[in-house]
Amino acid sequence: MRLFSWWLRRALSAVVTLFLVSILIFTASRLMPGGFAEVVLGPLASPEQKAEVTAKYGLDESILVQYARWLGTALSGDFGISMISGEPVTTEFGLRLPVTAQLALFGIGGAILIGVPLGVATAVRAGRRRGGAAVGRLLSGLGVSVPEFVLGSVVVFLFSRFALGLTVGGYVPFGADPAGNLQSMLLPAAVLSVFVIAVTARTTRDAVLTVLVEPYITASIARGDRPAFIVCRHVLRNASIPIITVLSTVSAYLLGGAVIIEYLFNLPGMGTYLVQAVGRRDYAVVQAGVLLAAVVFIVLNMVTDAVAGVLDPRFGAAAKGRKQ
Amino acid sequence: MTHLVRIEDLVVDYASGDGSVRALDGAELAIGAGETVGIVGESGSGKSTLGAAVGGLLPGAATVARGSVVVADHEVNTLRPNELRALRRERLGYIFQEPIGSLDPTMRIGKQVALALPGSGRRADVLTHLERVRLADPARVAKAYPHQLSGGMAQRVAIAMAMAREPEILIADEPTAALDSQIRAEVLDVIFTLAAEIGTTILWLSHDLPAVAKRCRRVVVMYGGRVVESGSAHAVLDMPWHPYTSALVRAVPGAVAEGERLVSIKGQPPVLTGAAEGCAFAPRCPDALSTCSVDRPPVVSVHERDVLCHLAGQQVGVSR
Amino acid sequence: MTWWRKADWLTRSGLLCLVLLALGTLAGTVLGIGGDPDEMVGPRLAPPNGEYLLGTDELGRSMLPRLFEGIGTTLVLSALAVLVTAVLATLLGIAAGYRGGWLGEIVLRLVEVLHSFPVIVLAILVAAVLGPGQTATICSIILITIPLMTRVVRAAAVSVSERDYVTSAVISGARWPRILSRHLLPNLSGTIAVQGTYALSVGILVEGGLSFLGFGVQPPQSSLGALIQQGSIYLLAAPWLVIGPGIVLVLAILAINVFGDGLRDSLEPREARSLV
Repeated sequence: MRLFSWWLRRALSAVVTLFLVSILIFTASRLMPGGFAEVVLGPLASPEQKAEVTAKYGLDESILVQYARWLGTALSGDFGISMISGEPVTTEFGLRLPVTAQLALFGIGGAILIGVPLGVATAVRAGRRRGGAAVGRLLSGLGVSVPEFVLGSVVVFLFSRFALGLTVGGYVPFGADPAGNLQSMLLPAAVLSVFVIAVTARTTRDAVLTVLVEPYITASIARGDRPAFIVCRHVLRNASIPIITVLSTVSAYLLGGAVIIEYLFNLPGMGTYLVQAVGRRDYAVVQAGVLLAAVVFIVLNMVTDAVAGVLDPRFGAAAKGRKQ
Repeated sequence: MTHLVRIEDLVVDYASGDGSVRALDGAELAIGAGETVGIVGESGSGKSTLGAAVGGLLPGAATVARGSVVVADHEVNTLRPNELRALRRERLGYIFQEPIGSLDPTMRIGKQVALALPGSGRRADVLTHLERVRLADPARVAKAYPHQLSGGMAQRVAIAMAMAREPEILIADEPTAALDSQIRAEVLDVIFTLAAEIGTTILWLSHDLPAVAKRCRRVVVMYGGRVVESGSAHAVLDMPWHPYTSALVRAVPGAVAEGERLVSIKGQPPVLTGAAEGCAFAPRCPDALSTCSVDRPPVVSVHERDVLCHLAGQQVGVSR
Repeated sequence: MTWWRKADWLTRSGLLCLVLLALGTLAGTVLGIGGDPDEMVGPRLAPPNGEYLLGTDELGRSMLPRLFEGIGTTLVLSALAVLVTAVLATLLGIAAGYRGGWLGEIVLRLVEVLHSFPVIVLAILVAAVLGPGQTATICSIILITIPLMTRVVRAAAVSVSERDYVTSAVISGARWPRILSRHLLPNLSGTIAVQGTYALSVGILVEGGLSFLGFGVQPPQSSLGALIQQGSIYLLAAPWLVIGPGIVLVLAILAINVFGDGLRDSLEPREARSLV
């Protein structure tokens, strides 16, 4: 019962955060310089034309009214109409989400399948060899220190210059040509994965190192348990909270649009679209896009807390204690 | 007679910051099967390191510089990892100071006990083992998580797990230090009764000389990384030979005759960075001779008693 | 400097690398090594040679002085932003962690709201409101690093404020400025230093990313991100435009991260445990 009320509070808190986020986004998009009408009609438009466009999109009403209307329709799943294309924002997103989702899927896959085992392995090995710690630190540091646009540029250069067999840039829908789609996504996914894998591996390594010095691990070693057994039975689960937290952060980051990768490889995903929308002052798209990213993050955070509560029986109790 | 555990001239260093700290400085100990041995010493005396060395459980920062640890005819320091694991699994049991911390916080007690049992532990076996450590409601405990148990209950669970494979030696490193004083005796009862039933040798590490002397047949006193005195419990307590031991006895409330003053030991225990020049206790010893701080004292053995002291010859003479 | 003696070679190299980079850039800029960064001196897109050590760009400007200017811009912008973040995050973190109450709730809520935006999305939003440029870059870095740092400072402040010496100071009637200066700040300084170091590397990363998307530092002003963005247009014809700034950028972030890791390890030493 107390646990249930904790979850209720957790959900309420998320709603409040979301509400504040929406105010922030709406205010921000109205503070953007340059009127929308000028962007659409160009600098030579007459005042009458501007007034007509402004009225058409409801931009002449008070900001509170505009916000209330936007929020009301957004809650019913209607995010307005892209002022540039005239299509509903949801339709526009529908076209671009698959690209971002596919990219995110590759990234999350890399994080789980490569990042986590890498982190566990380096942490377990750290105790075996002395002096190897610095090398491990250097490598993991390198992974998170190479910005995507630098690594991406290097990859683009190498593959374009020396024709290494993979196409650089452009997007082939999966439905149209699955093989071509995978080929076009391979490089961006690889570049994206390097950072994501490094971040996951670092966090995993830290979490595992912390668990390895716990008395129950010593007790397990003293019982004569094998290292693989200790890792599977005791270490992973106890190290899981930081690991799933970083995985959820990474997922939110990827779903919020791997903006730079999409931009660099010219992929028509959410990130590229958002960058264009900001440039064109397409209010509805910016609002909805940023809100979507924030919603994804907040929801993932709640899911993370739920999973953490299941994995570690202390978590619910600790969280309750903290909140009270 | 062959000994179950034989530690000879064991030297262990811990890497720390710039240099290293010597935890064991030529420790010697032999334990026969079925003995109950209490190792007494202050923190830093090296008793925990000695206990860990028996199972090859020294932490990564420690290196064995010299000496040997033989358990049931196996040299622990040169065993391959899988042989070492087999030794721990089949012959050794450990209980640690922090009862709740020694249990995996994410796993129900029943599951943990089952994993510690030979083969795949069945639920009935789990409950039997929990009953053996006199837990009041084994079924409820089996379903609980460690953080839902009291320290005493958690330590009973840890005892059940350590004794599950009926080990030849149980090493209990300050098993009651973290418990309330009322339940210490109960937990010790559980350990000693169960060990007696199974025929397990007990190696109990403690800083509490009278408590150890009450339950153990033999007492081993450690100071500065060496075993300075060892002998039958009542002999050591009644007539300590080593000045450190006698100082310990005089510092214990209730161990001295009524009307006598409790005397604290002046000075601080040593932190060694290498081999001690002479006797590690010399700087604090009221009776120190000039040789004490120069020459390492030899072992003097009389009547099943070993003592590491230059004065021992005289003391032995007096006591006869 | 007991700290320096305790640090391992990697931590020392990180710090040394960073100091050399900053000093080298300062010297290069002040002494005008390589000439005027804005002057079109040579042939266009010339590869590195004896006269132009790092080659020239599409307008015939020498890349070496432009790189100096770029490093300088990036470091100064990031450092300024992180300085602001460090002060704000310390205040907010202590307010939330030590004072708690309604003030703490407000701080936590603020942090959570800022933290709900993906990093680059938040930066783009800021750039869209303020218009692309240096101000937007600094503000983005501040808004992105504040939640990260405040959370950690808050957690540390909570644990410090639960220690006995703080309790006894409170009981003995010490006022909060004294508790703050005697107990909280000295015990939080390590955490703040480590988080500030990480924030600096995030700052450099954000400057790079934002400028790369065209929302950060604007030409003709150069920064590491802006140089890479402009260079990437001629990536195939003149890879040296990207390689130089790219290497420096990676080196700077790596040096800071490695230094930060070392700093953290020296503050919270952790033992590696073998499972054998």
